[in-house]
Amino acid sequence: MSPIESAVTLTVNGSRRTARVSPSTTLLEMVRARLELTGAKECCAEGECGACTMILDGEPVNSCLVLAVETEGSEVTTIEGIGAAGMTWLQESFLATGAIQCGFCIPGMVVAATALLERVPRPTESEVREGLSGNLCRCGGYSRICAAVMVAAGGDGAT
Amino acid sequence: MTFQYHRPQSLGEATDLLGKDDAVALAGGTDLLVALRHRVVRPALVVDLKSVADIANGIEVEGGRLRIGGGVVMNRLTRNEEVNRHFPALAQAAAVVGSVQIRNRATLAGNLCNASPAADTAPALLAYGATVIASGTDITRSIPVEEFFTGPGTTVLERGEIVTAVELPIPLKALGSAFARVTRRRGVDLASVSLVCTLDSSGLARFGFGAVGPTPLLAESTFDELATDDGWSRLLSVTSPITDVRAGAEYRRAMLHVHSKRAFQAASDELRAAT
Amino acid sequence: MTGAGLGISAPRVGGSDRVTGAQRFAADIVIEDALHVALVHLDCGHAAIEKIDTSVAAGIEGVVRVFTAEDFPHPVPRFGPRFADRPVIATGETKYHGEPLAAVVAVSKEAAAEGVAAVRVEYEELPGVYSIDDALDPESPLVVDPELRSSDDALADSNVRQRWDWGWGDVDSTEADLVVEETYTFPMVTHFSIEPHVFAAAPEGGGVTIWSSIQHPYFLQGTLASLLDLPISKVRVHAPDPGGGFGGKGFPKYEPLVAMIALELGRPVRLVLTLEETFQAVRRTNARLQLRTGFASHGRLVFIDAIEDFMMGAYADIAPRVISKSSYFAAGPYKVGAVRAVVRGLMSHTTPSTAFRGFGAPQMTWAIESQMDAAARALKIDAVDIRLMNLARPGEEIVPGDRAADGDWRQALNIAAEKVGWGEPLSPGHGRGISVGLKASATAGASYCILRILHDGSVSLIAGTSDMGQGARTILTQLVSENLGVPMERVSLVMGDTAVVPFDYSTSASRSTVFMGSAVVDACEKAIADLKGKTADHHHVSVDDVVFTPGQVSVDGAVYTLPEALNDVFGAVPGEIIVTGSQRGEGDADHPLGGPASFYEVSCTASEVSVDLETGDFELVKHITVADVGKAINPQHVEMQDEGAAVMGLGHTLMEHLILDEHGRIVNLGALDYRIPTFKDMPSTMESVLVENGDGPGPGGAKGSGEGGLLATSPAIAAALTQATGVVIKDLPLTPERVWQAMHGGDEGREQ
Repeated sequence: MSPIESAVTLTVNGSRRTARVSPSTTLLEMVRARLELTGAKECCAEGECGACTMILDGEPVNSCLVLAVETEGSEVTTIEGIGAAGMTWLQESFLATGAIQCGFCIPGMVVAATALLERVPRPTESEVREGLSGNLCRCGGYSRICAAVMVAAGGDGAT
Repeated sequence: MTFQYHRPQSLGEATDLLGKDDAVALAGGTDLLVALRHRVVRPALVVDLKSVADIANGIEVEGGRLRIGGGVVMNRLTRNEEVNRHFPALAQAAAVVGSVQIRNRATLAGNLCNASPAADTAPALLAYGATVIASGTDITRSIPVEEFFTGPGTTVLERGEIVTAVELPIPLKALGSAFARVTRRRGVDLASVSLVCTLDSSGLARFGFGAVGPTPLLAESTFDELATDDGWSRLLSVTSPITDVRAGAEYRRAMLHVHSKRAFQAASDELRAAT
Repeated sequence: MTGAGLGISAPRVGGSDRVTGAQRFAADIVIEDALHVALVHLDCGHAAIEKIDTSVAAGIEGVVRVFTAEDFPHPVPRFGPRFADRPVIATGETKYHGEPLAAVVAVSKEAAAEGVAAVRVEYEELPGVYSIDDALDPESPLVVDPELRSSDDALADSNVRQRWDWGWGDVDSTEADLVVEETYTFPMVTHFSIEPHVFAAAPEGGGVTIWSSIQHPYFLQGTLASLLDLPISKVRVHAPDPGGGFGGKGFPKYEPLVAMIALELGRPVRLVLTLEETFQAVRRTNARLQLRTGFASHGRLVFIDAIEDFMMGAYADIAPRVISKSSYFAAGPYKVGAVRAVVRGLMSHTTPSTAFRGFGAPQMTWAIESQMDAAARALKIDAVDIRLMNLARPGEEIVPGDRAADGDWRQALNIAAEKVGWGEPLSPGHGRGISVGLKASATAGASYCILRILHDGSVSLIAGTSDMGQGARTILTQLVSENLGVPMERVSLVMGDTAVVPFDYSTSASRSTVFMGSAVVDACEKAIADLKGKTADHHHVSVDDVVFTPGQVSVDGAVYTLPEALNDVFGAVPGEIIVTGSQRGEGDADHPLGGPASFYEVSCTASEVSVDLETGDFELVKHITVADVGKAINPQHVEMQDEGAAVMGLGHTLMEHLILDEHGRIVNLGALDYRIPTFKDMPSTMESVLVENGDGPGPGGAKGSGEGGLLATSPAIAAALTQATGVVIKDLPLTPERVWQAMHGGDEGREQ
């Protein structure tokens, strides 16, 4: 039996988008392959690394653990939607702090950090670590990523 | 992974669909999608429960009990005032389930139904004396959480039964509680040992244990018994830690001892401070 | 922004694309009509393949074809950087858990996965070599087919693929007041780049075009040309910036398979590994190091006598080089009169090991430094003092006849000691440790670049270094900017396409700042000379009358900006200044390693821990790394790399190890049970310090960097634990359980 395709319509980065997906297609796969937004990355495909983080109906989630069909009518923000109208202060802060090495984890980090700052505008360093603990960086950029978020939040960026 | 997807609006429709062979329930998806990826389950039908009105998303106090709807996600639990006031160890347990991304999707009910022996929230629910409310096609029943698990990954739920809520009795007396968890790293990790201890002013100590038996386990003792080595031996005799990829049995046994005692001490201190 | 000098922390070139999600990694690149490839492998280690039934899989909707060894030439083509031992696809048997024996090609990722699940393999599990003891056991099966070993290989009837004997002086006649004899093990760990490997190929123009997340595109190009019997000019490799490499994307893995499939089908195909498949594809060479180290009573090192076994895996890949290059420096950064090292590279039915940041030095440092600490404790000498006493001074040889110490390593040690608060009182349950690690850089190689000054004075630099996080683009841009006086934002860098970009040996061994950096400086100097020459001709003066300072040309009493100078020279018909730059290290054929190292990368780690004595759990209170870098062309880049290396070192020190069962299967296969450091595993205080004495061979006196921070992590933390708990641990990782076992006398068994 071949998978039954259906159309899913949702709002992505403020625009209404429709895609044909099979029931087993994940939100990550739909966004990357069908909507051609390749900012979010696939790494572990099971919710352990955070490289696929997107904001779904206001909350950061691992898009590899959401079926595309679950997102009918939902609102999704991807990395492309953050700073679409010019880089955010958070993104500038990442650049200035030397937080970016290979860059593969960075879209997930920026999305998770953006969601964190929306919920907790002035986090402590501990809250930043906790809020980003679902995002892995093998290049080991944690200190600077943390500092970048603190600077963007108006903290002093001290590690 | 070729399955059909349905999103029923009513509980009746949901239980009917789940009554079929090869149908699985989808709540947060944080366990199911991993299982699908590894082909551990190959369902013909995935039933998304998130639109079922009777599986509430709310946390309410009702008649001396806190009722946590089957749709409540972990982050909702950790941020809820009532949960933090009356059941702090449950809030702490929910706060270590995965990452913030996971906690925005994973439901308490789902954590129970997945029935891992290491289910993070189970020790707290056991210690606090929770009840699982499950609805089938015709009946709704209340299952004490200590009767809920039957083995690794298995529960007493019949096919088609859905957990619609978890209820906890709001403690009438002051209660001290503590939560402890042993992991391989400080970052997000599964527990090698997890436990919750509650102690009330009558001296009753209740311990919920995770990852040290085929299911989460409940054991009771008293303040006086736990002043003796025998008391501790008897308490911990319900557990049967094994060696697996996460930890060795000998280490687990030792950590059970150390952390149970520390949790008991912390719970005692908290109780003393409250009374 | 004007010309950025050396030593300025210019913002990362390519940073904006990364932070906005615009950066295209290999899996993001649109390859029109590309089919999806998925691999079939078995759930066991060593196995004999009896039958592969692809009929059901081939019939699945969306599956285009299923390839097995039968579809490839006989005998199966083999390749490898040292020995041509790795088959393009498993033939007759699988030699490690995860070795692909079939490839499903389909129109979609889902169909390919369905196809993989439908391939039926009949196989028989065979006894396997899964540990160092297994490999040394004469009764064990041979991993390498005997006909693949050369006829004059005295070791052909064993699983010792290669043996090295290093040494100098006479160990047996050297007296020592104290002999420390211990055995240390270093586990199997995997790279876990956040970007899984990507391999794509398409037939093109009578040849083939490849896209790969490869670190060394030119080596890949050469390998494919050879395998496919094509001229190199017909093999084009696109190498997008990798999402982390660390050595795991250095050498060809599945590009040959994918290339052959693409040529056979006449269509583009792409294979993206799952994370689990990357664990099965690449790892660090694990080791067991038996050291006898002799000391005089006042702490002087008098001899090192070692037997070092490294388990390479099912195919040699570049592991022989990892082993020879690291074990050759048998005494690390120390001056010792007598050394004997018997070193063996062993084959096993496990994932082939490959290059991994540090290249054998972390394993060596774990053993050498642990011995130093053991001696310090036994002789009651301070751990800093014993090292100060024995570290080679600048100009002193560490291997007789070879490059002498090229840095003030004592300085790095003293800085680390000071920063960690060495000697200050310790709270109960706390301990401190300090260690020095040394790694040799590239011994030979070549880098070429093309530099074009365009007719508006902007610059295009075409250079083949791979930017996988270390900021190569920024460094090279800074060098151009500094030398030519062109603002960084007017310099464009072209990388990652072998059809356009000239040869670069590799991006590895911390070599790029020195080698490609020097090539770029060379190109700048030639461009300046060319411009001066043309200016002189145009003005009918001698070239000595033309003065170039960055950004300016002065001649005939006039001063021109660079754009004006170009306009002046070329006039109405535009032109360019086009030059090549190069830097070659020919090496030395008589040298055991092919040549002396171009520089030594030395790093010092100092750590303070706080141990929960009841549970073995411990916190990292302070973690200091000091890197001797010569000159930091971009200090922020160097620091971020050093911090990153320190965090990676925490991985193999505290929590990483691949666990094999008795069937040779990796048990903790995946992110759930293979743990790498996260935000919450960071030390409370972490600091990275750079020592810049301008004593390196690169631009501005630069050495390379980027590997140092993980060389000495393990012995520093282990020594700190010993001070806190009294127990000595000789195996990694230092998990809470292992620490607890050591304290409570449990026998956990030795890991291989």
